Amino acid sequence: MTDAAVSGAPADTAPKATGLGALRDLRRTRQLHRLGNLDWFDAAYRVYLFGGFGGGAILWISSSVKDAPLDDNVAADVLSRGPAVLGLVVALAFMAGIRGGAQGGPIALEAADVAHVMLAPVDRLRALLRPAYQRLRSALFAGAMAGAIVGQLAGRRLPGDLFPWFCAGALYGANAAGLWVAAALLAHTLRLPRWLATLVGLAGVGWQAAAVAWSVPGPFNLDGSLALWGWRVHTVDLLAVGCTVLLLVAGLALLRRISLDALARRSALVAQLRFAVTMQDLRTVILLRRQLNQEVPRQRPHVRLRRHAGPLGLTASIWRRGWHGLLRFPLPRFVRMASLAAAMGVLQAMVVRGTTPAFLGTAILGFVLGLEAMEPLSQEVDQADRADALPVERGEIMARHLLAPAVLLVPFGFIAAFAAWFTLGARSDALAPALILGVPTLIGAACGGVVSIVKDMPDPTSGATQQAFMPPEMVGFSTAIRIVWPIVVSALTTCTVLLVRSADRLGGSTVSAAIRGSIGIMLVALLVYQWVRVRDRMRRKIRAFMDEGRSYQSQQRSSA
Amino acid sequence: MTAALKTVQLTKDYGDRPALEPLDLEVGEGQHVALVGHNGSGKTTLLRMAAGLLDASDGDVWIMGHKSGTIEARRSLSWLSDTPTFYDDLSLWEHLEYVGRLHGVAQWHTKAEELLERLQLSNRRDDIPTTFSRGLRQKAAIALGMVRPFDVLLVDEPFVGLDSNGKTTLLELLDESAAVGATLLVATHELAFVGRVGRLLALRDGAIVYDGPPADADVHSLVLPS
Repeated sequence: MTDAAVSGAPADTAPKATGLGALRDLRRTRQLHRLGNLDWFDAAYRVYLFGGFGGGAILWISSSVKDAPLDDNVAADVLSRGPAVLGLVVALAFMAGIRGGAQGGPIALEAADVAHVMLAPVDRLRALLRPAYQRLRSALFAGAMAGAIVGQLAGRRLPGDLFPWFCAGALYGANAAGLWVAAALLAHTLRLPRWLATLVGLAGVGWQAAAVAWSVPGPFNLDGSLALWGWRVHTVDLLAVGCTVLLLVAGLALLRRISLDALARRSALVAQLRFAVTMQDLRTVILLRRQLNQEVPRQRPHVRLRRHAGPLGLTASIWRRGWHGLLRFPLPRFVRMASLAAAMGVLQAMVVRGTTPAFLGTAILGFVLGLEAMEPLSQEVDQADRADALPVERGEIMARHLLAPAVLLVPFGFIAAFAAWFTLGARSDALAPALILGVPTLIGAACGGVVSIVKDMPDPTSGATQQAFMPPEMVGFSTAIRIVWPIVVSALTTCTVLLVRSADRLGGSTVSAAIRGSIGIMLVALLVYQWVRVRDRMRRKIRAFMDEGRSYQSQQRSSA
Repeated sequence: MTAALKTVQLTKDYGDRPALEPLDLEVGEGQHVALVGHNGSGKTTLLRMAAGLLDASDGDVWIMGHKSGTIEARRSLSWLSDTPTFYDDLSLWEHLEYVGRLHGVAQWHTKAEELLERLQLSNRRDDIPTTFSRGLRQKAAIALGMVRPFDVLLVDEPFVGLDSNGKTTLLELLDESAAVGATLLVATHELAFVGRVGRLLALRDGAIVYDGPPADADVHSLVLPS
């Protein structure tokens, strides 16, 4: 292509390819423009940050797994039940895919592509192959990376060398990701109704759960078995990969049937989602994911609150407002929160059993659960002008918004406790510590979500100059802190399970260890509550102090 | 004679809220139709379903005898949205080039030059349309909708944001398209435009409440919600 064509100069009037040829040229031109506009320094800096923090975190987690290899009995148990358990994860990926497809996933096009390319008389199958491949490629990469990391972690406690475990994990993750994309493509192109997609997904998960519980053959056992190739190789497991490839080919072949309605609806949301990911705005990412899944609050609450006659005080008003929002959560959201709580319980039990880094997984899940539960606070932050218009300190309002969600989390705490207890083999001595720690751990871990939400709050006292004068090195550092800090708060509370493990190993009282841990968690939660209350006041004071210092300095200079 | 646009029991509902009642409609080739109705009456829903951008809850749409969304229907139909979308990394001229070429027009530049001239966008051809004002974006969208050949033109609220020159040019372009036999279906709140068309369709709460010559209709009462 000539330069004139790239710059759009009207002098280039020679006839060019039309139809699909024009589409190829369009994409090439846009690629050239994007490359031309890319800030290479910024991109390199992001890679450096990602590599530094991401790589560092993985190395730290890996090095922290120093526990002794599993004894023969447990290892035999892993070998016999591992494929079914790991297959359950693949079943969940399949369910997520098929439900996502019924809701319009997995492909997302730009709004302009929908308007100009999809409405043009070109073969939609060929026009959509590239975005579909891109989606598949990114999913396979993410799946393989996650699988490889977990694989090499598993290899430290299980027989076999690390490299085969790394490769087996990557194969398992890529296969699961491929199945997710394939299920989504098929559900979308076959226009599966949402209820049917959920039913099929639940059937797969239910069957696989039965395989875990009663050792019957599960539909995803072969997929799960791939992850154990670092230990032993079963070539028959390749049938699972073959199945995934076949489903993928079928999904891609049906691309012509894709719904423009879904593409148009998703295009704007996906653009916002990408922007939010670029800005490391996890709360917005979760919010937009909900919108992508067409998850909207219920028109009518699950339970209607009784009308209240007469005026309400500040606490009672906010308490009531909180429940009005929480009771409008759609059922899938409650199910998701319950799943997160159960997964937290399972991970905490894994910590007790010896997999120390699992408490970080609990922290991340608790953080996400916090973002889910703290919806009234999120709404208040997103509509900050309303709170600012009230004759009450903003922090007082925000802090009171924490009460209703905290109460909502109590039953989920019990779900986490029972999940942990079951994972520990339903031992009678494990029930009391699980119940003591369950609710505080969940509420404490959700505090990470609170920190993330409140840090997003616009600061009316801050000036633009403050940001402008921040050195570039500090911007990267502060961005990393912004992402990591809420997770650290969550991790501070979830790591208390180590007290119980330590007591268990040393023959001490696990109940008193759990009580000590709960008190620690509640202290952290109170600190977060207090931080939300006084944050604005503190910032104002610090700023006034700085301003005073500056004016004093300028007075000194002028008098000198 | 094949209908340029035909709907058979076309229905749309959003959950429990019906947006369009079962609709049977035929627009003959070369007809010039205005579609009016209050906000939320179903005009945009109807047009978007005809363009293939919105899935119908039930029923079908046919464009020049081909089912909406098929390659033949897309070749015949040009859609001018009320919310124009553009690539944020292509100039207006590049947009015109690629839209023209995607629709099989090898000599797109002659028509593109003419459209830009008439819409007074010639000096903005190398600018990115996402940076344009509302009115300029609308003009750019008109140019994109007309740079390619079509048998049926669906237009949603074309006058919003246009200055008087822009409105005049758009009316001229619509008249010229009608003169060469194109079928036009224009959804609008500009009741003055209704006098220029041969047929008026009025929607109220998703159902057609008037279908006939505009001269016989009390347009102002037709656009009132129930």
